Amino acid sequence: MTPKKRYKFARVKLTRAGVRNGLDGPAVARPRALFKSFSRERHDLIWATVFLLPAMVAILSTRVWPAVGAISSSLHTGFPGGVREPVFSWFDNYLRLFENPAFIEVIVRTIAFNLVINPLQIAIALVISLVMTRTIPFRGLWRTLVFIPATVPIVGSTIAWGIGLRWDGPVNAIISALGGTPQPFFTSADQALASIILVATWIGVGYWMLFLIAGIEAIPREYYEAAKIDRAGPIRTFFSITVPQLKRPLLFVLVACTVANFVLFVPIQLITNGGPQSSTALLMFDAYRTTFGYGSRNLGAAEVVILASIMLTFVALQFFLLREDREPKGGSK
Amino acid sequence: MIKSSFRSRSKVNIPATVIAVLLATVFILPALWILGGSLRPSGEIFGSISPLSWRTLIPSSVSLDNYISLLSGGFATALANSFVASILAVAVGLALSALASYALAVLSFRGRSAVFAFVVVSFMVPFEAIAIPLSQQFGDWGLTNTVVGLVLPAIGNGLAIFNLRQYFLSLPDSLREAARIDGASEIRILWSIYVPNSGSALTNSGLLIFLGQWTSYLWPLLVINEQDRQVAPVALAKTFGEYSTDFGQNFAGAVMLALVPALLMFAMQRFFGGIAMSSGEK
Repeated sequence: MTPKKRYKFARVKLTRAGVRNGLDGPAVARPRALFKSFSRERHDLIWATVFLLPAMVAILSTRVWPAVGAISSSLHTGFPGGVREPVFSWFDNYLRLFENPAFIEVIVRTIAFNLVINPLQIAIALVISLVMTRTIPFRGLWRTLVFIPATVPIVGSTIAWGIGLRWDGPVNAIISALGGTPQPFFTSADQALASIILVATWIGVGYWMLFLIAGIEAIPREYYEAAKIDRAGPIRTFFSITVPQLKRPLLFVLVACTVANFVLFVPIQLITNGGPQSSTALLMFDAYRTTFGYGSRNLGAAEVVILASIMLTFVALQFFLLREDREPKGGSK
Repeated sequence: MIKSSFRSRSKVNIPATVIAVLLATVFILPALWILGGSLRPSGEIFGSISPLSWRTLIPSSVSLDNYISLLSGGFATALANSFVASILAVAVGLALSALASYALAVLSFRGRSAVFAFVVVSFMVPFEAIAIPLSQQFGDWGLTNTVVGLVLPAIGNGLAIFNLRQYFLSLPDSLREAARIDGASEIRILWSIYVPNSGSALTNSGLLIFLGQWTSYLWPLLVINEQDRQVAPVALAKTFGEYSTDFGQNFAGAVMLALVPALLMFAMQRFFGGIAMSSGEK
């Protein structure tokens, strides 16, 4: 996971240029070689079909088909035991879900969780990136140390925190040593979700930091020198130069972070199992539990569709709020 | 000139240095605690916590007992399963990606940009969101508990295709033209010109697929339910649930899971990172 991955994500920005590139690709038939270019076009098309087929089958069957299947399944009602075929039932599953107060709580909890964790992670990553781009000795070392948690597979870090936040664990030992009262963390309905946020933040922040550091370092130094000459303070400089110049990486990181946290699953399944008292039952986990724990695959499919809809709404809102202002920039076309 | 004068003016920022060191400590301490815990007897993990001292982090004696007992249990099989699945996913996934990328970067046909846009969208959709319905369909197709079922989602990796396609675009067209004149087929051109010249891009795409498969937890959990076919992350999670007193083994498992991709990336960098033939164009 790594600097390499970051490189590739940074390249996602090239997409639009890439697509355009594809558009001017096809050879324009020159009158003289009309037949030749025609046969060549056919040659390319045949080979392209052969070459693309396996990858397209893999993507269609594992990415598109389940999405279609989930929507279709959510509109059917099955019978326990699966002896009879599920029957088409319009929006019955959705109605059943929304009539259930426990499910409404899951939705509210999921949205609240995301309203807290995403800004929190981005803010922490931004502060760390600002610190890590100052003139400090061994900068690369400190950056690497913050990034290392992001390279540990999530099952490993989840287990470590599950043990670390036990009542007799090291975190409570530190709290006691500092004169505080040991906290219940995952075993208390009031603290379990906050503890999940802590674990996910420890894992994610170093990864987001990489993108933000790259963004900060791409801001021309002249802007800061100009701000200095104008006697702008650090806070003014931050809001007038750093934040506007960081809009693109910020948007990317925010969207990626939101998507990752909406489907957050491992810490919940592994440590709290949705509890105590359902305090950590988020939508992704609830869909899993409904499908496999309670065996209602149609209801679970409806939950997946609802999850995807809420997530896409969030992402669309973020694109809208952080859209680039189309400032007229001297004669640009 | 400007740069050097700037440099001479900027001094080490001491408050920022202090904060950076503190931040780095906060982030690395839990990881060090895992590493230390994996190298000491289980009893010592909690025994060393109070009173809090440097002994909490550093074991009094280093032993590999946790690793040995973990590997002599079922975890070795799970690790082997993970390896087989990851290597299979990389081999098949790279072949598919290389073919598709060649079509998207080199061949020209109507609808190419639409196919490419589709590939880009496919890797932006989080897999977890559709994993549950997909696992049900795989069940219907008889793919539960099969290696094919385990690796198929990792094979259709849009990001790997995207990365390779970008690289293929940068290779000069003239190489392909020359090969065509010599009568080489497209598959021959891909295999003898594009693949040998794309070591670094292939390594990157391969790593992406490997990491995706190696670290996946939800998907194996859904599609594999026989214990001796299970992969390492799920097996580790199961031991966490079952014998949650043997934390030393849990830590050792976490370290092994983290170490494999780290070592692999290090090795790959050494072996493939440097290979980038300059274009033979003149």
